[in-house]
Amino acid sequence: MKVVACENLIKTQGQLKTLNDVSFSIEENTITGLIGRNGAGKTTLLKILAGFWRGTSGDVKVFAESPFNNLLVSANAIYIDDQMDFSTALTIKEILDEAGRFYEKWDRDLAQRLFDYFSFHPKQIHQNLSKGKKSTFNMIIGLASRCALTMFDEPTTGMDTAVRKDFYRALLKDYIAHPRTIIISSHHLEEVEDLLEDVLLLESGKKHLHLPMDVLKEYAVGLTGRTEIILQWTYHKEIIYQKNMDHGTTYVVVKNDYFPLEQAKRLGIKISPVPASDLCVYLTNKTKGGIDDVFK
Amino acid sequence: MLHTDRTKPIYIQIAEWIETEVLNGNFAQDEKVYSQYKLAEMFTINPATAAKGLNLLADEGILYNKRGLGKFVTKQAKAIITDKRKNQTLKGLIEEIVVEAGQLDVSEEELIDMLQTMYKNRKGDAK
Repeated sequence: MKVVACENLIKTQGQLKTLNDVSFSIEENTITGLIGRNGAGKTTLLKILAGFWRGTSGDVKVFAESPFNNLLVSANAIYIDDQMDFSTALTIKEILDEAGRFYEKWDRDLAQRLFDYFSFHPKQIHQNLSKGKKSTFNMIIGLASRCALTMFDEPTTGMDTAVRKDFYRALLKDYIAHPRTIIISSHHLEEVEDLLEDVLLLESGKKHLHLPMDVLKEYAVGLTGRTEIILQWTYHKEIIYQKNMDHGTTYVVVKNDYFPLEQAKRLGIKISPVPASDLCVYLTNKTKGGIDDVFK
Repeated sequence: MLHTDRTKPIYIQIAEWIETEVLNGNFAQDEKVYSQYKLAEMFTINPATAAKGLNLLADEGILYNKRGLGKFVTKQAKAIITDKRKNQTLKGLIEEIVVEAGQLDVSEEELIDMLQTMYKNRKGDAK
């Protein structure tokens, strides 16, 4: 069953198309990584799926219904980000007590155990929590709500390394015990990639690719060698990334399709896999160079 | 034990980990190996990725499927793994050594000498 389906989704904000003709679908009980640079449209997309915002044109379905102003979607989907606003009249413990009224599958016990594990004080007010503590608390809400569609938008903002690791492990354990559809947006693909089944890469409001994580890992190869040999070899190939190094050597990243790797090796070209996080950066670079080109 | 090579697909790392467990005798013939969920939890990876690793081993005849019960080690598992590692992993490593030796102008005799010394030292350590 498809939990999310978008067709030709466009969102215009002022003069800018923040989502430009996006089409994709997400299957039930999968974990998808929503990846993209700053301003790629990740938050806009998630807010439309959560029913907070309305798309300008195109078709969006969540649980086969249009999510905007929809009670079914509101009750079964949750969107977690660092802007979440809770009543200042309630302590954070009271928030955990009340949340069960909004979410049918709310697990009060899990929420309490996480609350204690991360050493929250019951009398604290959400607004006064530090940035990292706020993110941690919001994450508890996201996990314990057990919503059929759970969306985390940059959930680890401000968390320290230990808490981030705990969060990923908690997310995975709870997902195994209670499968549901999870979308997690992140700048740190290298941190979340092991958890993901699929990756949706956005670039300037457009879908760049939507692939299983394993396919993405083998999507491209890196070639290092003498510049003239590399250029000759990649003459009619699409170069994803190129970096000229000292002593006449060049590193290029090309798509990994039917490339005669054995032959390349014999010519002294060094072949290396391209980490998925690097690849996503290269794929969404505006220019084929990098920051170094600014300083030329 | 995983992630020594972050760029290798995880399902392959999972498959290789199970292979090593079989070679070490930690999973015997007709014994059930870990489920995709158990593996996912052990290594903090997506269960679908773990399943892909298990399926790879099933395709290679190292594991067999018992419907609803899980995956089990085949009779010929050890032989298949040993053969595969000899012909792929070991050969690849040797190729790397030969290429590196060539770049360093190390002759064939010198290289064989180094190998023999290595064997001798290892035997000495074992005593």
